[in-house]
Formats: sequence, C-alpha cells, structure tokens
Amino acid sequence: MLAKRIQPMIFQARRLYVEMMFQVMGRALQAVSEVDDSVKNEARALPEGFLFEMMVMPDGPRLIVEHTGLGRFHFHGDSAPRPIDLSIQFKHIAHAFLVLSFQEKTSVAFANDRMLVDGDISYAVRMTRVLNRLESFILPKLIAQRAVKEYPANLHLPEKLISAARIYLKVATNFVETVRA
Amino acid sequence: MTNKYYEFFCPVKVIAGKSALEHIPYELTGLAAKRPMIVTDKGVRAAGLLDPVIAACEESGLEIVSIYDDVPPDSSTTVVRDIAGIYRQEKCDSIIAVGGGSAIDTGKAVNILVSEGGDNIAKYSGAGIIKHPLKPFFVVPTTAGTGSEVTSVAVITDEAKGVKLPFTSSFLLPNAAIIDPRMTLTLPPHITAATAMDAMTHATEAFTCMAKNPLSDAYATAAVKKISHSLLHVMDNPKDTDGRLELAQASTMAGIAFSNSMVGLVHALGHATGAICHLPHGLCMSLYLPYVLEYNLEEIRAPLGELLLYLEGPEVYSATPSSRRAEASISALRKLRDQLYKRCQLPRTLKETGKVQEEQLDHIAEMALDDGSIMFNPKEVTLEDARAVLRRAWA
Ligand SMILES: [Fe+2]
Repeated sequence: MLAKRIQPMIFQARRLYVEMMFQVMGRALQAVSEVDDSVKNEARALPEGFLFEMMVMPDGPRLIVEHTGLGRFHFHGDSAPRPIDLSIQFKHIAHAFLVLSFQEKTSVAFANDRMLVDGDISYAVRMTRVLNRLESFILPKLIAQRAVKEYPANLHLPEKLISAARIYLKVATNFVETVRA
Repeated sequence: MTNKYYEFFCPVKVIAGKSALEHIPYELTGLAAKRPMIVTDKGVRAAGLLDPVIAACEESGLEIVSIYDDVPPDSSTTVVRDIAGIYRQEKCDSIIAVGGGSAIDTGKAVNILVSEGGDNIAKYSGAGIIKHPLKPFFVVPTTAGTGSEVTSVAVITDEAKGVKLPFTSSFLLPNAAIIDPRMTLTLPPHITAATAMDAMTHATEAFTCMAKNPLSDAYATAAVKKISHSLLHVMDNPKDTDGRLELAQASTMAGIAFSNSMVGLVHALGHATGAICHLPHGLCMSLYLPYVLEYNLEEIRAPLGELLLYLEGPEVYSATPSSRRAEASISALRKLRDQLYKRCQLPRTLKETGKVQEEQLDHIAEMALDDGSIMFNPKEVTLEDARAVLRRAWA
C-alpha cells in the first residue's frame, strides 16, 4: 500500500535528479574544456559547430553542448540552435539515473544496451572518452573508479572545480541513498 | 544485486548440414516468395558455387528470376541502386545473397531499398531508421568467417562522398542462413585460415569484452572449440566435408555471439589496418589477436583462462594451474598461428605482411581510437596504448 504512494515521489525525484545532473554535466563539460588538455585534444577532432546531445527517450530531459572550435565546448541547456549531429539516447529515465548517479559506467551502459547512438559512431567513441574524463573530474578517485574504466593518472584538478564537484557529489550520494532504500 | 543486464537476439533460422541448399525452395515457399533474385560476386560464380543453388531451386520448380554477379569487394551505393533497379524491373519478390561479407551486406542494403522504396540508400543509414520487416531474404555464406549471416549490420561505401555508411536494424537479419559444406569446400588455404581466425577472434572477443553475457558465452565457447578442433585438420584435408561444416557452423555461432556482445580492440586495430594498408580483415584479426589479449590480460584473466578448456581440451586445461590458464590460452593461439604460418604463410606480425610501413603505425593507432569496437574493449585504450600494441605486433 505504502509503496503505491511512495513510488510516484521517487519517480519524480529521479527525474529531477537527472535534469539537475544534465545541467551540472553541461556546465562542467564547458568548464573542463577550458582547462583540460586531454578533453581539448579529444574535442578538437570534432567539426566546428558540432552539436552533441544526451537525452532520455522518448522526450525526456536532455543536455546539449556545441563544439565551438579549438577543443572548446559551449553548453546550450536543453534546446539546440540547429539539428543535432550526435545524440546519445537513454532508453528509459531509470537507465539515465543509473549512469548519472555513477552506479553504472558510461561504457558499461553502452555494453548493457541501456542507450543508443544516433550519429557517427566514431564521434560517439570520442564523446564517451570525454564523458569518462569529465566523470573523473567531478568525482573523487574512489567513486570515479566505479564510473570510468580507468582512472587517469595525469589528473590535476583545478581548485574551483574541486569545490563544485564536492557539492554535486553530496547531492548525488544523498540521492542514491534515498532512492536505493 | 549487480547492475548486470543484457539483451540477446537472433531470429535467424539456421539451416545447416548435408543437402542444406535443397531446403531453399521449401523455405522460400513458406514465406510466399516465388521470384527470388540471387546477389553474388564473380568469384563465387567462377568457382561454380551458384550451380548447386540454382539446381536445388529448379529441381523444385522454383525459378531464379535474376542473378546479379558483379558485387565488388567493397560494395557501393551505386551497386545497391543498380541491383534494386533490376529487382524491380524483373518483379522479384525475395533475395538470396550467396557469398562473403560484401555480397551479404549488399543483399541487406538492396533489401532495404526494394522494401522501403526509393533509390537513395544513404537515406536509411544509421541505427533504428527502418521500422518494418523487409522482403524475404536468405543468405548462403561461401566463407566461414564473417558471420554476416547473423548480424544486423551492413556497411556500404558512398563513393561520391568517400565515406562508409553503416546500416543497423534487426530487420536486416535474414530469414534464414543456409550453411552447406559444399559452399566452402573449394576455399583456398590462406582464405580458409584467415576467415577461420576471424571467427576465432569474434568468439574470443565476444567472450572477453564488456558486453559478454551468458547466452553469447555459450555460442562463443562452442565456436572456439569447433575451430580449435577442426581448423588444422581442414588445412591438411581441404576436401573434408565434415571439417568444413564444423568451421562453417563455428563461424555462424561466433557471429551470433559477437552480434550480441560486440568485439573489442582486435577489431578496432584490424578495421584501421584494413583501411590504411588494404590487408584482408581475417589476416589482421589473426595477426593482432595475441597482442591484444596480452594487453588486456589483467582485465580478462578469468574468462581468458576459461577459454583454455575449449582451445586445448580437458587434459591440458586440468593440468594447467588456474593462475596460468590465461597465459596458456594465449600460447595456444600463438601455436595455432605458427601452424597456419607453416601451412599457408598467414602473417603473424605486421612486418611479415610485407604491406605495412613502420611509419604507418601512428596513423593506424589514431584511426583505431575512433573505431566503434574500441568502446567495448575491457580496458580503456589510450593512443599510447594502441601505439604500444602496434609496436609489439610489428615484429
Ligand atoms: Fe571480424
């Protein structure tokens, strides 16, 4: 009986969390592309004006960033100025939640058929590496190891990002604990 | 509870064994198809491989309405459009692809056009574009390696734009795959070896990469066992029908395994090497397999060790301490490669191919890093890692 009343709240909370995490990731992608050489190098191979989207099917929350050239990303929020070039689509909000709460690695989520790629697969491979790198920025080493295949050895966190990351992380862990129960 | 989740799908009817071709008319009739078109290449026709297919159909009163035998090794959008034109002109109602990877991919692409309409195959490129079942489609593989008869992917070159277009949809899967040992009986030794090692790589990567799952594992191990058992025997007795059938079945099984659990770095490097140095796919697979397994070793120790049972049999497996089994599996594959080198000079290093320059390695590494297969490799591959594997594979 209780479950029936609690479930919708969890659904709503999960959705809010995914929306929030997309915001966080979008901003973080932009920030990291300004300071991190390895992200810049990956991004440089993308065409200028390249629009990348991560979204939840069928029409759920989304995050859109543009490669504005020279390896820099610009966060567009949830609306795109032009048709998207590459879209990574979660099949369900539950799967987006698994990935964005760092319970399932991005690469594992791909392997587990949790999401689809619409667009050039070589760009998808590149963006997965960028997302892995981003996750290791946002998260302290212990959790990042769960989120990415390998924790990069050459990671030097800028101070500003560390403090931001702590806040996100706190939200994330609190949330995971609440929802898991 | 773990987060493990997987999907497994293979709706292809497998028709395998002696006189399998003779089942084609019955199976086509079952799908209400009366006017099949054969899509194949010149090599298949010259080898006389069409004759038993045509005879099998005609004996049952089923006329092959049209035969297109000019599929090039790298099929293009123009070829697909031309074949679709003939299909429509001749009022065909089904397709039988007879051949290797290229003929099969062409058959899949033609089926999209003749079912969905239009002349521009590029329009259907990508994943999930096709939403309806296509026309009846049968595949008769003439190599035992690619596994294309059970994959939902086709790759067609857009010559005008100079790009390779991928098509992915479960509707590309044929209704039936006909595995008849007559079709691979005349394969020359180096192709037998290279294609079998492609299948071996499909099974090994399916079993050790990130998307492995219990169902694909079963197909992968069975395929490894069949290939280890039969490959050298067939190399020494090319006319052995039973051995040929074993390899052909293994190739289909490995295809089912990897189409459900993907491949990894061997394929990423192989695709890049194929594109840059124009080496056959199977050759590249055989070449890179041990080096990539060594690179992935610590991540895949358990599953790779398990493969020893299928590579070498129960005696060797039980005599090898479990901490050494992964290394023993790599040695078994190296041994197999040495034997193949002795019999048909299948290259074991990039230098032995005589077609790769050392200066090209960086280019290969960069291109491999953009390949979709690298996503499912158990270890995250950096450019430096890819270069290191290539240097080890050099000589
Ligand atoms: Fe292959």
